[in-house]
Amino acid sequence: MSTTLMRWRSLAWVLPALVLLLVFVYYPIVDNLRLSLFSWNAFSVAPTFVGLDNYRTAFHDPIFWTALWNNTVFAVVSLVFQVGFSLVLAALLEEFVHQRLRGILRTIYFIPAVISITVAGILFSFLYNPEIGLVNRLLGAVGLESWQHSWLGEPSTAMGSIIAMSQWQSIGYTAILFVVGIQRIPKEFHEAAKVDGAGPIRRFFSVTVPMVREMTTLIIILTVSGAFLVFNEVMVMTAGGPSDSSQVLGTWLYRNAFLNDDMGYASAIATVIFVITLAIGAVQIVVSRRRRIQW
Amino acid sequence: MKHTMRSASFAVLATATAVALAACGAPGTANPGAGGASSQSLSAPAEKSGTITMVTKFADPKYAPYFESVTKAYEQANPKVTIKLEQVGDQPYKDKIRVLSASKQLPDIYFSWAGDFANKFVRAGLAADLTSVIGPDTEWGKTFSPAALKAFETKGKNFGVPIDLDAKYLAYNKSAFTKAGISGAPASLEELIGDCDKLRTAGYTPIAFGNQYGWPAIHYITQLNAYNVPPDTLAKDYDPATGAFTDPGYTKAVDQFKDIVTHCSSKDANGVSHEAGQANFLNGKAAMHYLESVEFQALTAKGGAPKQLADNWDFMRLPAPQGAAGDAGALTGAPDGFMVNAQSKNAALAVDVLKFMTTQQNAAKLTADIGWLSPVQGSATSANSFPQLQSALADISKANQFAIWLDTVTNAEVANAYLSGIEGVISGSKTSKDVMTGVQEAAAKAKKQAG
Repeated sequence: MSTTLMRWRSLAWVLPALVLLLVFVYYPIVDNLRLSLFSWNAFSVAPTFVGLDNYRTAFHDPIFWTALWNNTVFAVVSLVFQVGFSLVLAALLEEFVHQRLRGILRTIYFIPAVISITVAGILFSFLYNPEIGLVNRLLGAVGLESWQHSWLGEPSTAMGSIIAMSQWQSIGYTAILFVVGIQRIPKEFHEAAKVDGAGPIRRFFSVTVPMVREMTTLIIILTVSGAFLVFNEVMVMTAGGPSDSSQVLGTWLYRNAFLNDDMGYASAIATVIFVITLAIGAVQIVVSRRRRIQW
Repeated sequence: MKHTMRSASFAVLATATAVALAACGAPGTANPGAGGASSQSLSAPAEKSGTITMVTKFADPKYAPYFESVTKAYEQANPKVTIKLEQVGDQPYKDKIRVLSASKQLPDIYFSWAGDFANKFVRAGLAADLTSVIGPDTEWGKTFSPAALKAFETKGKNFGVPIDLDAKYLAYNKSAFTKAGISGAPASLEELIGDCDKLRTAGYTPIAFGNQYGWPAIHYITQLNAYNVPPDTLAKDYDPATGAFTDPGYTKAVDQFKDIVTHCSSKDANGVSHEAGQANFLNGKAAMHYLESVEFQALTAKGGAPKQLADNWDFMRLPAPQGAAGDAGALTGAPDGFMVNAQSKNAALAVDVLKFMTTQQNAAKLTADIGWLSPVQGSATSANSFPQLQSALADISKANQFAIWLDTVTNAEVANAYLSGIEGVISGSKTSKDVMTGVQEAAAKAKKQAG
């Protein structure tokens, strides 16, 4: 078979996926960029070209900055818990827990990840309820009445409460991914380190962390870009309130597109989200390629 | 990690929207007047045949069966007609109808709230002018309550068919009032505030209030605005092209709401859902609850309320403040309705379906099946409703005018400024002046957009 024919055959295999990607991913992205240059809504008879006006509006919109800040906080907290804490949790599970108990614990940690976000949101709305919620009751039981809040009802606590719920739901999932990564590390590495006198903490930093770097990179990309794409958690629990204190870029985009009828501005916000997540992904991929470990 | 998967629905929604909208060529271009309802007779077709598409926001299992059964009954009566009924939830409907509108896929019959929500479709040429068939002087129009018809009137023309009547009332537990030494419904807002203090002393939460998504507070503001601002000023300000919101009555309304929260409810209300608040009223912890007449059934034994409350409640309007400058006879509420797509090839058949849906018999069925009041006159009787529902219908007919829900009567920007501001008033982070500054800015933006 000629090389040319082989090439065409290969292309034929990837063509369906390529067409799907072009139609459902790349075309909407490019078209969204075009739409962000117009002032228009679902009822517009005549969309008007406004150039970069929608981006200027975003720049001067305090709620846009609140949303961006909330996404950033979401990303940082998610990194700490879903990457740092999850990796430690996975290492502890693999290092210190008995084989039989390990399976049970993995299942327990993983359960929140399979609960629908709507169910989890409603569940936590009850936990955070200022009158009958478990959180305030527990605080009251240990004499910390002054710490009680209307968790989803105060601008100072609403976003933190949503982020906390999200961490509860995601830690187990990322921990299981790290477990998979840790199990792939050849046992000889740990044994050699033990022979050299390395303790568990030293082995964690000198063997486990470097050897799961690729998994870590993948989880960082997914966690950070996920934090900038967050939508459901906020929509279910506060819809961006109170007083827009828990708006994130996704909900602010939604509010402008489908409630304020400002599709052009919503398209501009969508472009900002795309640029942020693209940049995060690109940086991560470049950094991880440089530091790849092969064995 | 999981975020990505959990955000999939958002991504899909955004992508689908972009694709759907992109399919329009130019974004969101409506095409009014290209054939369709605007250029065809709306009187009953000689031969009833064809397919009608219909989208409602009544996906709730409590309500959906009624619309399914009525459309099926129409199909049985007219075998050559197929009705493709699609029912979605309240919130998703707002997205769906906009996407359908922008992608020129609007169904023949679609749901609409009264006010600016309906007017968006009218302004875009997407709502058929139904004056010739449902105007107040027509045979069909005369079967409706005039106030309900008027809610879907724009510049003297009728664009909507009212399907239900809804009004906001303060339900109260008669036993709680007796225990607190209150002889009956307060005559003024000031009296209500005093009664709240008595109820608190008696160990009750005076008014159950959950404002997790912001709209319950907006209903208070709707009523208080109507009480405090002269009707002409209110009408001018609620119109996006002329809104200014500078009348001092608006600030007064927010201050009165703040008083209600302070004396009758709790600053924690933003963290409690409307339903959780209602539960406090149902289980006797709270003495009052501000709710819609479409929710009355939940307070009856049939609706699952405890007997102690079901046998012991009555309702009143939110009392007006003394000497208020607005209309003390205005009542917060509105009919919901259906509109006919101006581009529909089957507009006459669509009108016929809506006529069938609002016959005396089907209107009575609406009340009997799901406990809603129908705008069709004489549809609520002792045979198909409970006493409070009949009293509500009598009270609605006495109202000077409907104060249509603030979040649908006015421009969305203004509604959102109110929504956000009032949440701040409840939690104590904003003053009435802050709220009105935000509302005035939003009104100025809306005015600019309206040209």
